[in-house]
Amino acid sequence: MSCPLLSLQNVSKVYANGTVALEGVNLTLHPGEFVSLVGPSGCGKSTVLRLVAGLGEVSRGSLDWHNREQERQLAFVFQDAALMPWASVLDNVHLPLKLKGKRLRPSRANLQEAINLVDLQGFEQSYPRELSGGMKMRVSIARALVTKPTFMLMDEPFGALDEMTRGRLNDDVLNLWAQKHWTVLFVTHNIYEAVYLSTRVVVMAARPGRIVDDIPINQPHPRTDEFRTSSDFNHYCREVLTALSHSETGSPA
Amino acid sequence: MVSQKSAQDSPNRSPDKLESRSEAHEVKAATWAGRKRQSKSSWKPSADWIAPVTVGIVAIILWDLGVRISGVEPYLLPGPGLVLTTLVQEFPSLFPSLLITLKITVAAFLAAVTSGLLIAILFTQSKWIERSFFPYAVILQTTPIVAIAPLIIIWLQNNTFLALVVCAWIVAFFPIVSNTTLGLNSADHSLRNLFQLYGASRWQTLLYLRLPSALPYFLGGLRISGGLALIGAVVAEFVAGTGGKRSGIAYQILMSSYNLQIPRMFAALLLTTLLGVGIFVGMTVLSDRLLSKWHESAIKREN
Repeated sequence: MSCPLLSLQNVSKVYANGTVALEGVNLTLHPGEFVSLVGPSGCGKSTVLRLVAGLGEVSRGSLDWHNREQERQLAFVFQDAALMPWASVLDNVHLPLKLKGKRLRPSRANLQEAINLVDLQGFEQSYPRELSGGMKMRVSIARALVTKPTFMLMDEPFGALDEMTRGRLNDDVLNLWAQKHWTVLFVTHNIYEAVYLSTRVVVMAARPGRIVDDIPINQPHPRTDEFRTSSDFNHYCREVLTALSHSETGSPA
Repeated sequence: MVSQKSAQDSPNRSPDKLESRSEAHEVKAATWAGRKRQSKSSWKPSADWIAPVTVGIVAIILWDLGVRISGVEPYLLPGPGLVLTTLVQEFPSLFPSLLITLKITVAAFLAAVTSGLLIAILFTQSKWIERSFFPYAVILQTTPIVAIAPLIIIWLQNNTFLALVVCAWIVAFFPIVSNTTLGLNSADHSLRNLFQLYGASRWQTLLYLRLPSALPYFLGGLRISGGLALIGAVVAEFVAGTGGKRSGIAYQILMSSYNLQIPRMFAALLLTTLLGVGIFVGMTVLSDRLLSKWHESAIKREN
């Protein structure tokens, strides 16, 4: 395989109050992978994401980027869409560029492209409160798109959405991943979502947060509803489920 | 682009897309309908203001009847008709006083808004600054203004106007400081992380995130503070007036009560109250205007 994008070696994270969020985590990401982190709540999957994003320091171990340039090309999609309620869709999507000192008018074409990619044309002037949960998430994804990232960090982005909307957005993310040649690190507590999307599912356990299994999903992309209902899909889900239940009883999978 | 591509990849997805569009349009149509309804309801007579107006009219009628039937002397309690005619008669002497009070109130209010906002921003720049100075802001607020007003008036005896403004400012600035500080600190956590990720400077975070987040809180502070500035001005004028210094409407109230011109006192009181209500209404309209597009407090809903 090509040289890794990022590797975490024996990473531990201890918070100021003494909580051990992660212990001895080893994880290597290669360019173009779609890796999902699944596990019970409190297993530190979001912490891994935040450390990778640079929103916090590693307590022990090391987090190494193969190329520092790539670190700056990342974008983060939060669990709640994290939109500014006082700003229109267009202004929300503009935010990352605005913070880099780029004005609205010259970057308008770029913003429109991002908005079109998530299928929100016609809603540029709407305010977040006028949008449904799924549409807010699309705005959040459009905002991540405008910096042309190569590495996407997604923290349970579709956790609060209904099943239909979630399925639709899953396909949209997969399309963008293929189209833009992204690397994706995706946190979810939904096993089916993880298997459907990923090239690899990393299973984590809680107290202390650690990785207990790493399951490659050797299935071709693009993925369709046929895959969702195939016996292969069931087999993978079963495997992830077994790893999760083993981690809960304490014996390593 | 996505929809084209996905249509090729998986034809079964296009109806989903259509569904998502129509769902979106429904949302938009609903908000438009909501706006229309809103603008209509502000013109039609509604229970929102019929009820309080009725209560007011009934109270005035009862007051009038009470005064007539009991035959109470006007220097104890004048009837509403007498208050109104006195107001018209005395208007030339009362109105200039009201303007003086208005000037003091506005000056104190503007000083409170600017200083309150700046102090709040300073507080949120460092926890240490907030910890060190916030207790003193509280002390300034909890000290009764009647007790320190004479001192301030003596210190600034060459400039009564300034002394009164300072008194009103002390009363008015605290709600702005405490509300705005709360607002600046309550910016959404994920958004703060997002700003950090995109390398936002302290100044950018303040300008684009903290200040907009604080706006509803700031406006809430403004509403309280506007009324308090008037109260502070009136109290300070009373204190100054007992010391023989002429000033605004409160001085007129004080003099009228000394001279047992009770109807005139009521008329002056009525003017002061109207000014207070005017300030509150002005602030509420401003607040609704600024927040109408996005904040829950300014949005009318059916359920």
